Amino acid sequence: MRSVAVVGTGQTKHARRRDDVSQAELVREAADAALADADMCAEDIEAVLIGNMELFEGRGLPELWVGGGAYGTGKPVMKVATGGTSGTSTAIAAFHQVGSGLFDRVLAVGFEKHSEGHTQTGMALTDPFWDRAVASGALGNFALSVSQYVAAGHATEDQAALVAVKARRNAARNPHAHLQMPDLTVDEVLASKMLAHPLRMLDMCPQSDGAAAIIVASDAVAREHNPRPAWVKATATRHDQCYIGDLDRRLLSMRTLRDASAHAYTQAGITDPVRDLDVAEIYEPCTYAELAWYEALGFCEAGEAGRLVEKGVTSMTGALPVNPSGGVLSTNPVGASGVIRVAEAACQIHGRAGQRQVERADLALATGYGVYAWADVVVLGSEP
Amino acid sequence: MNDRVERLDVPILMDEAWHYASGEAMERFSTGLAARRIEALRCDGCGRRYLPPRPMCGNCRLRMTHWVAVDDTGTLEAWTVVHQPILDGRTGEERPSPYGMGLIRLDGADTTVNHFVQTGGPRRQGVTPPGPPLFIGQRVRAVWREELRGAMDDILHFEVVEP
Repeated sequence: MRSVAVVGTGQTKHARRRDDVSQAELVREAADAALADADMCAEDIEAVLIGNMELFEGRGLPELWVGGGAYGTGKPVMKVATGGTSGTSTAIAAFHQVGSGLFDRVLAVGFEKHSEGHTQTGMALTDPFWDRAVASGALGNFALSVSQYVAAGHATEDQAALVAVKARRNAARNPHAHLQMPDLTVDEVLASKMLAHPLRMLDMCPQSDGAAAIIVASDAVAREHNPRPAWVKATATRHDQCYIGDLDRRLLSMRTLRDASAHAYTQAGITDPVRDLDVAEIYEPCTYAELAWYEALGFCEAGEAGRLVEKGVTSMTGALPVNPSGGVLSTNPVGASGVIRVAEAACQIHGRAGQRQVERADLALATGYGVYAWADVVVLGSEP
Repeated sequence: MNDRVERLDVPILMDEAWHYASGEAMERFSTGLAARRIEALRCDGCGRRYLPPRPMCGNCRLRMTHWVAVDDTGTLEAWTVVHQPILDGRTGEERPSPYGMGLIRLDGADTTVNHFVQTGGPRRQGVTPPGPPLFIGQRVRAVWREELRGAMDDILHFEVVEP
């Protein structure tokens, strides 16, 4: 496969409600920002990929209604859908389209407007024969898994609260972020409303309106359009069986993310992720998930994730800053969230991350998490 | 972003039913439920006994045909108490909260069942009163509906078995 890079990124302002724009206009806002960042015009784009969770907005065929907003008219347009990983999978599909030689310039855009539809309806329509009577959304799923993670002694509520504080404080330096809480404290997290034991309001991601886009280009084109392209060093995706009860001790085992990251690290020549990576943008729908992902991603030994966050290893000034953007805990337009992870990782390599820029970003990780059955891993670098 | 709010409400009012083919395995399972019988499919490759039963073991890629009996008692492997009103995917109504739920490994199965767990006294209008705390490893048993219909909600919830 030939060299492929992300040469431009664009995001909307993410918020609880973006009543000022329609879905197509929201997508257009992200696409325009990415095109400007890549110094390209709409005519340069040869193909368009769209990521979205279709049931959430209550309109069929979302790719039809927003395709024009993404400058797709007259071009190949398709949607990629893998649950919460949709955004990272959309980016990976764009890497494949360019890497294969099919196209030289592809726009990948993810969006969600949770405020317009009914997210719970989408989440409630699980398997009609098995668990629809019981299913309690992402909240219920996570609470169950977290109960096992806590019972195994892998994290305390104070350590989880530190993750919440890190995310929302980081978000305060990200102009795109939805929840910006520069003064949030552990006590405030622990005092927030209990949603599903042991998950409190501030342990969970919000629902946001927002869109994010990346421009993916082939070798020579990439060098023309960005002085410091974010080269694709590795991608890996893994799927698992479909019922929550199929997976034992899910957060503790997390075989999708373990397998995907091991595969990606081999491709990218990473042997010690905390030493080798300069920054990570991981898809953490709740605080405890971020800690579990540290273990699955090999940032620490099993059971050590809480101490990692206590020691500040993953803070902005630590050895491996995790989610300088504020992560999913601060911004979650689901179909866009994975694209945001890749865009943020690329933006760090480009050296264009403003107040949230880490020093010497030469190797960056982005991950996606979909229901409990998908994991995506992307590694971007400053050298092809 | 401009601050002018423009939003048009478009209600969706539907009284609609979707019709799904259950497949052979789920049909046998559902028929069993109507007789208070729980059956799992066992993989001849890895030995894993699957609920819900399905045609193929995802890990071994082998077709499963070996049915095994499963008890309606089991062990709590994960639990939570949900305090938020959550939408019931069958009715569109919000489920009264708080309620307990758990992952239960039924005796004779290797996967777990996602179901309500009653923590205190009898459920009233779907609400579970506060009761003794749940813990992983607790023994539970199914409480069945009186008139069985051959669906998973023939099991109303699981109750804690006193040691």
